[in-house]
Amino acid sequence: MVTWPLPHPREGGCSVVDAIVPRAGLEPPALDAAAPTAWSGSSADLARILDAELSGSLNTRRTVLRVLDLAASRLADWAMVVAAEPKGPSLHVYGGADPTFHATTRRADTWSLLRQVMEGSRHELVHVDLSVDPHAALHGLVPHPDLREQVAGLRPADILASPLTARGSVVGALVLVRQAGGGFDPQDVELVGELCTRAALALDSARVYEEHARVTRVLEESLRPPALPRIAGLDVAACFRSAAAHLAIGGDFYDVHGSDDDWLVVLGDVCGKGVEAAVLNGRARQSIRTAARFDRSPASILTTLNDVLYEDDSDRFVTVVCARVRPSGDGSGSFRVDAAVAGHPAPLVVHTDGSVEQPDITGRLAGALPNSDGYDEVTLTLVPGDALVLFSDGIHEARGERGLYGLDRLRTLLGRYAGTGAGTIVEAVERDVVEHLDGNGHDDMTALVIAPHRRSS
Amino acid sequence: MTTTARTGGRDLAEDVERLDAAVAGGDVDGALTLVDDLLDEGLDPLDVVEVIATVQKRVGERWQNAEWSVAQEHAATAVATSALESVRRISRGVVPERGRIVIACAEHEWHALPAMLVSAALRSRGWHVTLLGASTPTARLNRYLQDLGPDITAVSCSVASGLPHSRAFIEASTTAGIPVLAGGAAFGPDPRRATALGATAWAPDARAAVEVVEKLPLVVRAAAPLPPEVTVEHSSLISGHRSLVATIAEAWAPYRDAGTEDQELLRDIVDQAVHAVGGALLTGDERLLSETSTWVLTVLAAREHAASAWSELGSLLRGALRDYPVASGLLKQHWSPETPAPA
Repeated sequence: MVTWPLPHPREGGCSVVDAIVPRAGLEPPALDAAAPTAWSGSSADLARILDAELSGSLNTRRTVLRVLDLAASRLADWAMVVAAEPKGPSLHVYGGADPTFHATTRRADTWSLLRQVMEGSRHELVHVDLSVDPHAALHGLVPHPDLREQVAGLRPADILASPLTARGSVVGALVLVRQAGGGFDPQDVELVGELCTRAALALDSARVYEEHARVTRVLEESLRPPALPRIAGLDVAACFRSAAAHLAIGGDFYDVHGSDDDWLVVLGDVCGKGVEAAVLNGRARQSIRTAARFDRSPASILTTLNDVLYEDDSDRFVTVVCARVRPSGDGSGSFRVDAAVAGHPAPLVVHTDGSVEQPDITGRLAGALPNSDGYDEVTLTLVPGDALVLFSDGIHEARGERGLYGLDRLRTLLGRYAGTGAGTIVEAVERDVVEHLDGNGHDDMTALVIAPHRRSS
Repeated sequence: MTTTARTGGRDLAEDVERLDAAVAGGDVDGALTLVDDLLDEGLDPLDVVEVIATVQKRVGERWQNAEWSVAQEHAATAVATSALESVRRISRGVVPERGRIVIACAEHEWHALPAMLVSAALRSRGWHVTLLGASTPTARLNRYLQDLGPDITAVSCSVASGLPHSRAFIEASTTAGIPVLAGGAAFGPDPRRATALGATAWAPDARAAVEVVEKLPLVVRAAAPLPPEVTVEHSSLISGHRSLVATIAEAWAPYRDAGTEDQELLRDIVDQAVHAVGGALLTGDERLLSETSTWVLTVLAAREHAASAWSELGSLLRGALRDYPVASGLLKQHWSPETPAPA
């Protein structure tokens, strides 16, 4: 292992490779452009970039872009980042003339010098004679033909390859190229070392984050509320805000399934929140789907759910509202709804005239006690313009500076949005509740609205 | 509204009128058919987006002029949203190879449609767009910035109350090196507010956004901190916000005399006015205050409140905010007996 800052490259410890021995009698070619760039690496704001901004992203691509931007604007004419999973078989090569360039290469195919940098965890400073073809020197350091062409075109004078080491592992390398006249003096090398230390940490953090994020995403994909189906004659809309703002899952769930003229609309709430609750809600949702294959009556479905969850070892329980929705079939555009609840507030029915009613049904929460006498069902009719609103307790128990949101306020709001359609009602509820919270934390919040189509006027 | 060249030099005014009639009549099917027809005729999706945006602006004005209720405004917006779906559908044939853009509305910004318009426009030009929707918590935006590592973040803000959270978005994004494009009515008529809040660029509408994103840098520096004299006063204004609004509303004659439903609107007006003071403070752009005072005057006049209601609100604001030095100065200049009511 090498610790930063590195010793003076020309005073031992690190190898300085004169890649190609100058041959007598050949004049160096004329230099491009005017004076060499004056590299002003150690300006005051560089410290801020290194200390704060380099670790500002947990995304590998964005971190690489930042490192390349910094390197190419402050430290060199050309920069390349090589990222490797510790001991993994592939290397990712980024940058060069186009910072968005990305290629993957096998570590085993990588040429000796770069591997030496990474495996030996020490930097290499290569001085290239300008009088001869630099390709030979480049071969060992730049593991991609396009990138080698770019560097050769620069007529490089000095190449500094530094290992990126973080948390006890080599995570890659940074290769910098300066045109003739630039050179890397000891201060430069020290500065590059500073950059590498931080870049390596940032890249390693991004790698670890991405691994965790992948797990989270896979979980979310299987546990997040499913897309809502299109149902002839019926608008369906839903909103969900997780108690954990950065997650798309939580203890609330909803589901709409069925076919043609027989649909099941479900909204539930698992005790607890976050990932643990989401795992149980996935199970509850699946149990309901399975139960519905055998008997589509909401009361029977909730009875089965209760049995399944009770027999489970878990001491967790679930509250659910379950509604079976079928067209009335009389050509009026109305729907018949059979609903049952398990420890959940009954849904609200919003009529076109602005009146709001809550059917009188109750039922024990599911999973807590063995079943004795099943669940009650209630039957309602939704005519065009009506809406049925299912919601979780995160809605009416939202607590802002002015206290609880409350069912009364919800009913008043719904009355004002009577007849506006499922999407509009859901948006209005979400907005009013979130504004009531005014930045306070909240439980998972879910609302789902179904509304028979109004006839186009 | 920009007037750059449209497909075949077509004048969109007639299309606007037809869509407006459908939207105003709540005719969802008619609106959808019309938009589908325009796209089938080969009209550039950008033009269709402009037609929908123009109609939507009228929808907002109808509410402002008390011609429509909030519920009507929402229902019309839902029609426009469905119409936009057609633009998105036609863009499915465009390969998203331009790079990735995350678009979101800051917290307290509930007008999701402008962001949808911009998102449809960008998608039609081959950008991969991830739309996060209304009132997105900053933590959620951050998750997307880390997970996706986009090329650009776009923030949409049409009400002053969303400006502080837009600043939070700008900090979140630029800290990760990602450039930010800002737009929406609350950012005003030029880049001044966007620049003050540290955004990388500003665009007045979807058409301009499509042009601007082409020119954004790949990596930006973290937005510089706002001046302490601004942040100190602003944060105390935010923490006192709710009680300030309550105090002002309860002292305001129109509010005291109103029924429950009207009270809600009047409280919103006070809320917006106090937010505008905060926004002007935060961005150093006092025009936000005059824009808001004009808006308040229109909304009040349309609901048959006397002009005195407007000046009374001004003097109540000045009284309630007298301990906030910068804010009081702004109010004195832009909402006081000496400044005549905007025409």
